[in-house]
Amino acid sequence: MVRYTVRRLLQAVPLVFGAAVVTWILIHAAPGDPIVALAGEDGDAGYYAMMRERFGLDRPLHEQLFVYLGRLAQGDLGFSYRQNRSAVSVILDQLPATLLLMVPALAVASVIGISVGTLAAARKNSALDNTARTATLLGHAVPVFWLSQVLLLLFALRFDWFPVQGRSDARAGYEGFRALLDVGHHMVLPIAALVTVYVPPIMRVTRAAVIENLDEMYIRAARARGQSRRRVLIRHALPNAMLPIVTVIGSQIGFMFAGSVLVETVFAWPGLGRLLLSAILARDFAIITAMLLMLSVTIILMNLITDLVYSLLDPRVRHGT
Amino acid sequence: MRRLRLIGAILALALLAASCGDDGSDEPVSQPAEPAAEGPSAEPETAAEEPAEEPAPAAEPEPAAEPETAAEEPADEEPAAESEPAAEEPAAEDPRRGGTLVIALSDDPGHFNPGITTGFNVHAVTGSIFNGLVELDDNANPHPDLAESWDVSDDSTQYTFHLAQGVRWHDGEPLTSADVKFTFENVLLDYHSRTRGGLSGILESIDTPDATTVVFNFTQPYAALLQRLNSTEAPILPKHIYEGVDDVQTADANLTPVGTGPFKLESYDIDNEITLVRNDDYFKAGLPYLDRVVMRVIPDQNTQVLALEEGEVDYIWRVPGGDIERLGSDDSITLHNINSGPGGGFCIPTLTFNSDREVFSDLRVRQAIAHAVNRDQLVAQVLFGQGRVATGPINSQMAFAYSDDVTSYPYDVDRATALLDEAGYASGGTRFSIDLLVFSFGVFPKYAEVMRQNLAEVGIDVVVTPLDRSAFIPRVFGERDFDTNIISYCNNTDPSIGVARMYISSNIGDIPFSNGAAYINPAIDVLFDEAASTPDVARRGELYAEIQRILTAELPYLWLVETQFTAGSGANVQGLQANSGHVAETAYFEE
Repeated sequence: MVRYTVRRLLQAVPLVFGAAVVTWILIHAAPGDPIVALAGEDGDAGYYAMMRERFGLDRPLHEQLFVYLGRLAQGDLGFSYRQNRSAVSVILDQLPATLLLMVPALAVASVIGISVGTLAAARKNSALDNTARTATLLGHAVPVFWLSQVLLLLFALRFDWFPVQGRSDARAGYEGFRALLDVGHHMVLPIAALVTVYVPPIMRVTRAAVIENLDEMYIRAARARGQSRRRVLIRHALPNAMLPIVTVIGSQIGFMFAGSVLVETVFAWPGLGRLLLSAILARDFAIITAMLLMLSVTIILMNLITDLVYSLLDPRVRHGT
Repeated sequence: MRRLRLIGAILALALLAASCGDDGSDEPVSQPAEPAAEGPSAEPETAAEEPAEEPAPAAEPEPAAEPETAAEEPADEEPAAESEPAAEEPAAEDPRRGGTLVIALSDDPGHFNPGITTGFNVHAVTGSIFNGLVELDDNANPHPDLAESWDVSDDSTQYTFHLAQGVRWHDGEPLTSADVKFTFENVLLDYHSRTRGGLSGILESIDTPDATTVVFNFTQPYAALLQRLNSTEAPILPKHIYEGVDDVQTADANLTPVGTGPFKLESYDIDNEITLVRNDDYFKAGLPYLDRVVMRVIPDQNTQVLALEEGEVDYIWRVPGGDIERLGSDDSITLHNINSGPGGGFCIPTLTFNSDREVFSDLRVRQAIAHAVNRDQLVAQVLFGQGRVATGPINSQMAFAYSDDVTSYPYDVDRATALLDEAGYASGGTRFSIDLLVFSFGVFPKYAEVMRQNLAEVGIDVVVTPLDRSAFIPRVFGERDFDTNIISYCNNTDPSIGVARMYISSNIGDIPFSNGAAYINPAIDVLFDEAASTPDVARRGELYAEIQRILTAELPYLWLVETQFTAGSGANVQGLQANSGHVAETAYFEE
């Protein structure tokens, strides 16, 4: 198990390196010039020349790439000219806010997705199943920024139950437990929006996997031994269906690092999605490449963790010798 | 297999990142960028006066005139050098003190050094932390800020400023003339793009005969200096903090600003909020009234509006056109019509004809397009009435320089058709096809859509190409790969700052927001030069009138509309200086 893990981690190194090169090249190949975001407007030619030189933008692309890779090898992910400090420190600053939103959203969505999916599978083609499937389809089809705005109009403006934006009340300056409550109050609507994004894939995969397992011989055998439908469902079918479900949830966690651009934007939630977007618009290369790199590392790690979880869930899966 | 999937996922993501600048998912997110980009310039102008100060400038070149603007805001509806409600009211009945003003900001500023950038979001914050030597009002007239008075030599080559007494930096150090000299010589003239571009060639020296006197010496007469000294164009920075710093652009001090302004930075939570607290030792006695100002980053304009309606924020810089009517009828909200502010002043969205293109070498083609574009429709349908049809290169609100004695191009399809026939582009079907580059956000694609329909009526096929800002600028000014484009050019505080750059032949090349038409006319070069170095305001007005006559006849660009911005505030907030960098200096909450 340990050896397997170490081997997988070692294999990941060239993969991460490759990902870094590819993202760097793609980003620099796209049209765009950071000079105005960097240097401001209405400067003279000499000024822009000076700024290009300062930030190495006047050097040939391959040279810039080598400089980037050289620094990367030393663990330096670059300097954000927009934020005037290292890209990593900017990203780490934003990470907690993103996790604060994503972790509960994914947890809630997993509980809803797995339980509804299991129930729907147990009562295939029932009214419950059909309702759940239609709702999933809708959840898939509705653009999340639109849904977010509808949530705002309804629950913030119309009913006045929740605040419109932000992570806290800008005026109140709460402290201690009151501040926690305030943050919680602000989390409800964005989490609700995110849950509608996360639930559909989890629910559909759960339903399909459980249905598949319910057709298996061992289920029939269990039923024949007199076990109740509920027990068979929960103790036998669901655990055996867990592998694809874990895969889906794992991939969602992997992408957590990208935040959610749209939800964060609509609810003015300060997270990584917004950071990535504004970095892209301003061609803040250091932030973009650092975020994509960290994202690919997260995905690689999540894949590894998912694989390790397999062996916990399913005794037949054994890694290493 | 899994690895392949992973690589695929990374590739897809990178592609997404590389292309996401102008895809559909951009839509709700892109609008906030508008204020900054709408004006290719970022510039608060205005100055509401401070109650304690007696404006006593001995200044001559007061380039201005009666305010014609319909500013609704108490703080700027009065003639410039006179008294102001913001100044009077407090005296009559002391405004309530205390409270936290929440201002929505569309993007994170990144740092707080206003001397190294012209960016909107930095200046929106630092305008409350720093001061310039002067502030400007709605019509770009100078008023005392750090300088309580000034003298200008008869030939406009020497400006002497007398600093206010007892000004202290937020850390307690006194402000002296050395700070002013240092700021210009070590920061602004190197790193502030507009100040560098405008002054570095003609500013000979800065002398500091004593601690409160600063003298600017020019190599030639220069009339527009006072319009360049507000808190956006020339914020004064502390020498004792920045002296000896290796690199001003990346200095740690940029995140812990020490200013002279009405508010001090208390905390900065990236991408979330910036909290400013009252500067108890502010040199303008009695100000500010508020205890705190919180700048909350809210990228989505719709969310900003909802937050204003819900009272979660007190002020938003821009109300989208579509929301103006609804908010206008809401008693709890006050709208402010403004021509300027940190988002750019006196702006004119303008169609650029690329003079390198064969088709535009014929004046009749340019005239035909001018007649074919229905600019009233642009005002009504794109701006929701928040603007006017432009008549030429200078905004009608810049009273001393504006002239209506120009060639005008009313909407006239028949005239346009006749001109195109004359130019030899056969009628029937499509006469020719051109591309039209626009920014992919805000109202720009909407201008393009209306114009595409307008021009189709006279047989010109327009291919609209929306690009995000970072891709647009190098394509237009670097590669010059366009037939036409729309950019909102802002006149800013003086035509020598915001207008000349589009027409003078020395400003063609890979310079953002420069002479994109590549228009060359030696007579125009001379006129702009003369206008910038003429001290006499009336004479300057004549020169700019001549410039407008020539340019509207030659039509290197088509000036579409003059935009007006609308800011919104809670009705319980008074004394806001919506046009100034010092937006919250005199603001207070009503009982």
